[in-house]
Amino acid sequence: MPPPRTRDARDHRDHRRAPSEEEAPEKWDWSCPETRRLLEDAFFRGEDPIRQGSEECQRFWAFFERLQRFRSLKASRQEEADPGHPTHSIPALADLPRAYDPRYRINLSVLGPDTRGSRELGRCLPPERASEFRRALLHYLDFSQKQAFARLAKLQRERAALPIAQYEKRILRTLKEHQVVVVAGDTGCGKSTQVPQYLLAAGFSHVACTQPRRIACISLAKRVGFESLSQYGSKVGYQIRFESTRSAATKIVFLTVGLLLRQIQREPSLPQYEVLIVDEVHERHLHNDFLLGVLRRLLPQRPDLKVILMSATINISLFSSYFGNAPVVQVPGRLFPITVVYQPQEAEPTTSKSEKLDPRPFLRVLQAIDNKYPPEERGDLLVFLSGMAEISAVLEAAQTYASHTQRWVVLPLHSALSVADQDKVFDVAPPGVRKCILSTNIAETSVTIDGIRFVVDSGKVKEMSYDPQAKLQRLQEFWISQASAEQRKGRAGRTGPGVCFRLYAESDYDAFAPYPVPEIRRVALDALVLQMKSMSVGNPRTFPFIEPPPPASLETAILYLQDQGALDSSESLTPIGSLLAQLPVDVVIGKMLILGSVFSLAEPMLTVAAALSVQSPFTRSAQSSLECAAARRPLESDQGDPLTLFNIFNAWVQVKSERSRNSRKWCRRRGIEEHRLYEMANLRRQFKELLEDHGLLAEAQLVAPGDSYSRLQQRRERRALHQLKRQHEEGAGRRRKVLRLQEDLGDCSSEEDCAGRAADDNVDIQDVKFKLRHNLEQLQAAASAAQDLSREQMALLKLVLGRGLYPQLAVPDALNSGRKDSDQVFHTQAKQGTVLHPTCVFANNPEVLHTQERETAGGEGKQGDKDKMNSSHQLLAFVSLLETNKPYLVNCVRIPALQSLLLFSRSLDTNGDCSRLVADGWLELQLADSESAVRLLTASLRLRAHWESALDRQLAHQARRQHLEEEEGEEAPPISRKEVAALSRELLQFMASKVPYSLRRLTGLETQNLYVGPQTVTAAPSLPGLFGSSTLSPHPIKGGYAVTDFLTYNCLTSDVDLYSDCLRSFWTCPHCDLHLPLTPLERIAHESSCPQAPQEGTAGGEEVAPEPVQKASALQRPYHCEACQKDFLFTPTEVLRHRKQHV
Amino acid sequence: MAGEAEHHALGVFECQLCALTAPYSYVGQKPPNTQSVVLLEESYVMKDPFSSDKATFLVLGSRCSLCSRLVCVGPECSLFYAKRFCLPCVRQHLSAFPQEIRQDVEKRTAPSKKISSQHRSQT
Repeated sequence: MPPPRTRDARDHRDHRRAPSEEEAPEKWDWSCPETRRLLEDAFFRGEDPIRQGSEECQRFWAFFERLQRFRSLKASRQEEADPGHPTHSIPALADLPRAYDPRYRINLSVLGPDTRGSRELGRCLPPERASEFRRALLHYLDFSQKQAFARLAKLQRERAALPIAQYEKRILRTLKEHQVVVVAGDTGCGKSTQVPQYLLAAGFSHVACTQPRRIACISLAKRVGFESLSQYGSKVGYQIRFESTRSAATKIVFLTVGLLLRQIQREPSLPQYEVLIVDEVHERHLHNDFLLGVLRRLLPQRPDLKVILMSATINISLFSSYFGNAPVVQVPGRLFPITVVYQPQEAEPTTSKSEKLDPRPFLRVLQAIDNKYPPEERGDLLVFLSGMAEISAVLEAAQTYASHTQRWVVLPLHSALSVADQDKVFDVAPPGVRKCILSTNIAETSVTIDGIRFVVDSGKVKEMSYDPQAKLQRLQEFWISQASAEQRKGRAGRTGPGVCFRLYAESDYDAFAPYPVPEIRRVALDALVLQMKSMSVGNPRTFPFIEPPPPASLETAILYLQDQGALDSSESLTPIGSLLAQLPVDVVIGKMLILGSVFSLAEPMLTVAAALSVQSPFTRSAQSSLECAAARRPLESDQGDPLTLFNIFNAWVQVKSERSRNSRKWCRRRGIEEHRLYEMANLRRQFKELLEDHGLLAEAQLVAPGDSYSRLQQRRERRALHQLKRQHEEGAGRRRKVLRLQEDLGDCSSEEDCAGRAADDNVDIQDVKFKLRHNLEQLQAAASAAQDLSREQMALLKLVLGRGLYPQLAVPDALNSGRKDSDQVFHTQAKQGTVLHPTCVFANNPEVLHTQERETAGGEGKQGDKDKMNSSHQLLAFVSLLETNKPYLVNCVRIPALQSLLLFSRSLDTNGDCSRLVADGWLELQLADSESAVRLLTASLRLRAHWESALDRQLAHQARRQHLEEEEGEEAPPISRKEVAALSRELLQFMASKVPYSLRRLTGLETQNLYVGPQTVTAAPSLPGLFGSSTLSPHPIKGGYAVTDFLTYNCLTSDVDLYSDCLRSFWTCPHCDLHLPLTPLERIAHESSCPQAPQEGTAGGEEVAPEPVQKASALQRPYHCEACQKDFLFTPTEVLRHRKQHV
Repeated sequence: MAGEAEHHALGVFECQLCALTAPYSYVGQKPPNTQSVVLLEESYVMKDPFSSDKATFLVLGSRCSLCSRLVCVGPECSLFYAKRFCLPCVRQHLSAFPQEIRQDVEKRTAPSKKISSQHRSQT
C-alpha cells in the first residue's frame, strides 16, 4: 500500500489562508457539475471512503451545501485567538493547540487527492479549493461517524430497555443446568429477537429458531441481524421454502417448523444444531405440536442438545409438564394500560339478505374516535375481522367514510395480499390522519404494527375445520378464545395507553373458551400421518402428542392414505408413499407428479401441480369485473380449472419472456394476482428438482448458447440483474413511506395509470428475482411445448389428473340440464348437494357437463327413459371440497365417467353379465349391452395391470437408483419408451370408447342392499385364475367372486337375472379362433390369457417389432393343473377343455 | 466471503464509563479496506454495521490520553480535542481547554440524559 502522501497537516497558516481567499471570490462555483465531477474524480476513488455516484456521494454533497451555508453565516465572525493560555504542566495537556478550531475535534484525517493520474486536476483545482473541499470532507466523515455511533448506542439502549434484558443471565443459567427451558413472555417483551442474541453472545454458534410463518423468519432474521450488528454479514440468516440466506458462517438461522421437520427427516438426530428455539409454541400449530413430540423423543439421544420453548403466557404448565417439568422463565410484557369498552351488537335487522357483514358498528367506532380524540393526538386503529370477505365489506364502507372526513387511510391486511401490499400497513399516515387497518387474526401474533392506539375486536375468527367423515374442509366462523381476545386487546397498548372496543358483551367474553382449539384437532391429518410414517416414529395412534388428535381424524387419514396407495394394508409406506412424503405438497398433487413422470408428461404436469398447490391467482375484483373476465376468456379451458391455470401460467411465461416489464399489467388486466404466478414458478422449480433428484425426470441438459458472444451477453444480463437486486435491497428496502390519503380510495388494480406508475417508478423487483431464480428460456420452452401438446397428450394429461384426484369425484345431479347455471348441483360420495366454486370455469359454462342429448337414441332403448342411455356421461374430479356458506367444489376437471371409473375405482362390482357395475359402492353404471360391458371390463383389467406395473417399475427403478447412487454408468430407463407409447395409446383408445350407459348415484337404501352376500353354493366357475397366479375365490362379504383386489364378479343383487352367471352363449374370441359357449366370466378369463390378444401394447404392432423370444408354438403355455397335479403345455382352449374334465 | 473474514472480531470493546459493548475488528490508526483515511489516535474500530460498504468503518472508542481509561466516542463519555479525553478528566482539567470546549462540556452534562430517555420512549 502506498504510504500517506500529503497528509493534511494541521498547518495554521494553511488554515488561515482559506477565509482570506474567500474575501476575494473568483468565479468558483461549487455546485457546477464539472467542478463536482473533478473533485469526485480526485477524492472519491476506489479505495476512498466515499465512492463516486453512490448514495453516500449524494449525501455528501447535500451535507457540503449545508456546510457552505453555515460557513457563510459564520464568516463575518472574527476569529479570535485564545488569549494567553498558560502552558499546562501535564504533558498530555501541554501541547493542546492554543487557538480553537473545530477541526481539532475530529479524530481522523483524509489524505490528499491522487494527482498522479490527472495533470488536468492540478491545473483546474487550486490548492486552497482542494483543501477547503478536504476540510468539508473531513467534517462529513466525522458527522457520519457520530451518526453511526449514535445509532449503535441507541440500539443498545433500546435492547437494554426491553423487559427481557433483565432475564438474560437467568435464561442462560437455566439453560446451562437444564436441557429444556420454557421462556414465557407476552408480546413486546422481546423474546423472539433477544433470546437468539443472548445465545450468540454466550458463545453458541449453531442455533436454530423455528417460526410458524415464513414472513416471521424473514423479518426476524433481518431484525436480529441488524441488532446484532451483522446486518450485512451472514451471521444471522433465514431459511424458508424457496429462499435461504444461510451460509457456512451463519450462526443463527430462522426457519419454518416444516423445514426443520424435513431436516429431522433427513438426519434424525439433528446434528447440525446445538440449541433449538421453538417459538410461538402456544399457537399450537399442527407441525409445532408434532415437532414437540419428536423433540421429546430425541432429547435423551442428544443430551448435548438444548431446547428453548418460547410461548406467550398461555397455558405454560402444559409445555413445562410435557417436558418433565422443565423450568419456566417468565418475563412480564411491557404494556400500557388499556381501556376495554364492550359494545355488544344488538341484533340489527341486516340491510341485505346476503351474508355480508354489516359494517355499521365498525363505522361507529371510527366516528367515535373522530369525535372524541383530536386529530393531533396520533394513534392508529387496528380492526380484527374474521376473514377476507368481512374485510372487504368493511373496507368499502370505511373508505367511503374516509373520503368524506379525510381523516383516515384504510388498509386491508391478510395473508392473501401480496407482500408489497402487506408492507403498506407499516407506512405512516400523514399528520392529522389515522391509519385504519382491517386485519384477519394475522395481526394477532404474527404481524406487529407499531403506533396502534385503538383496537376493534369483532370477537370472530374464521378457521378451517375438518370433518373427517365427509373429508370436508369447512371455513367456519367461530367466537375467539379468551386468550385471543386478550392478545388482540394487547395490540392497543404497545406504544402508549390504548382503547379496545369489543363488539360483544362481557358475558360473551366470559363464555369464550380459555384457549383456541389446537390445529391438530381441526384439520385433516393426511400429510401429518404420511410424514410420521416416513420419519418412522411408529404408530401414529400411540405417538405421544402433547394433546392427542381425535382418533377419528387419524383413522380417516390412514384410510385415505391407503386409498391413495401411499400406505399398504399393513399401514407401511409404499414406494409411492415414501416418495410422496418427500414432496411438500398435498398427497393428491404429489401423486399426479409421479404419474405424470411415467408418461412423458412431467413438464406440463409440473405446471399443473404447482398451479393447484398455490392459492387461487384470481383477485377478488376479477370475479366481478366483466372486463377481466373477457380478457381471461381466451385462456380458459372448457376441460377444467387445472387446465385453465395451466394456460394462464404458460401465457404468463410467454409474456415474461417477450416483454417482462409488462407482465404486471398483463396480470392486472386479467384479474390475476401476479404474486401467485411467481409462487407457481417457484413451486414448479422445486417439484422439478425433486423429480430430478428421484430420477423421475431426466435432468435438463444445459443447452449452452452456441457462441461465446451470446454467453457473454447472458452473463452480462445476469450481472445486471444481480446489481438491480442488490440496489433494491440496499435502497428503498426498509424506509417507511408516508401514505397518501387518496391512495386506496380507488382500487389500484383497476387503474391503468397506477400500474404504469408503479412499473416506471421502481424496478419490478419480483421480476428481477424471478429472472435470477429461473431459467426463463427453459420455462419458455416448456410453455411453448405446452401450447404444442397434441390432443392425445392433453387427453392423457387429463387422465393423469383424474387418476391423481381419484377418489375425489363428484357426479352431476340428473336434473342439472334443466336448471339455471347457478343452480347446478353435484354429489360426492360423502356429500350431497355440492356446488361449483364461482371461480370454476364450469360455473359459467355448465352445459359442457351435461350429457349430449342427441346420443340418447343410440342406446338399445330397452330401458325406461328414466335411465338415459348415453355414452357421454361425465364426472368432475376436484382438488378440494371447501365449505363456507355452501359446500364448494374447488378446482374441477371433467372426465368421462365409465372409462374413468373402470380405470380408477378401488372397488368394482358386477352382476352376472357385467352389464351392471357399481363403482366404489356409490355410483351405478348400467350398460346397454353386456357384450361391450365385458369387452370394456376386460380391457380395463389389462390396462390397469400394465399401468400399475409401469408405475411400480418406475418407482422401483427410482428406489434402486437411490441405493446405487455412487455407481456410475448409464442406466437403462425403467420402462421403454415404446412400452409407454403403447400404453398411452391404448389408454386413450379406451377413454374414447363409446358405449351407451346410464349413470346414477345409489340411494342410501340401495347401498345397504347392494350385495348378495356370501354364498353357500360352491358352484365356482371352473376357470383358470386371471392374470397368472391369482385364483378366483368367493368373496367373503360381498358374495360373488373376487377376480382381482378391486373387481368382484357377480356380487350384486339383481332382480333381473339371477342366473346370468351360469348362462353360456356361443362366443368367438376376437383374437384367436376360439368359438365356444362361455359365461361372461369365462370370456374375461380367456381374453386375459389369450396369447393373441394385445399384450403389453403390442396391439398395433406397427412400432414394435415382433418379439423373437416367443415360443415355437405361440399358443402353448406351461400349465399346471391343481386338480390332477400335472404339468402340461396347453393352449388356453386346451386349458379350458382340460379343466372341464375335473368338474 | 473473503470480505467478512477480514472483519472477524478481535474482541469485544467495552466502554469503561457507560458499559457500551461492541465487537471490534481492528485496533490502530489505519482502518482496513480504506487507503485515504487515517485516524489520529489508536482507536478500536469495527466495520460500520449500518453500511453495506465493506470499507466503511466505525470508530468505537480509544484510551483517554490522561487516565488511559478505555472510553467510547459517545458524547457522554469522551471528547476529542487533538487527543482523546474522557469527560471526567476533561472536567477535572477544564481550565486547560479552550472556551469552546468548556462551554460544550457544560452543555453536555445537563441535557444528555434527557436525550437518552427520549430515545427510550420511542421504542
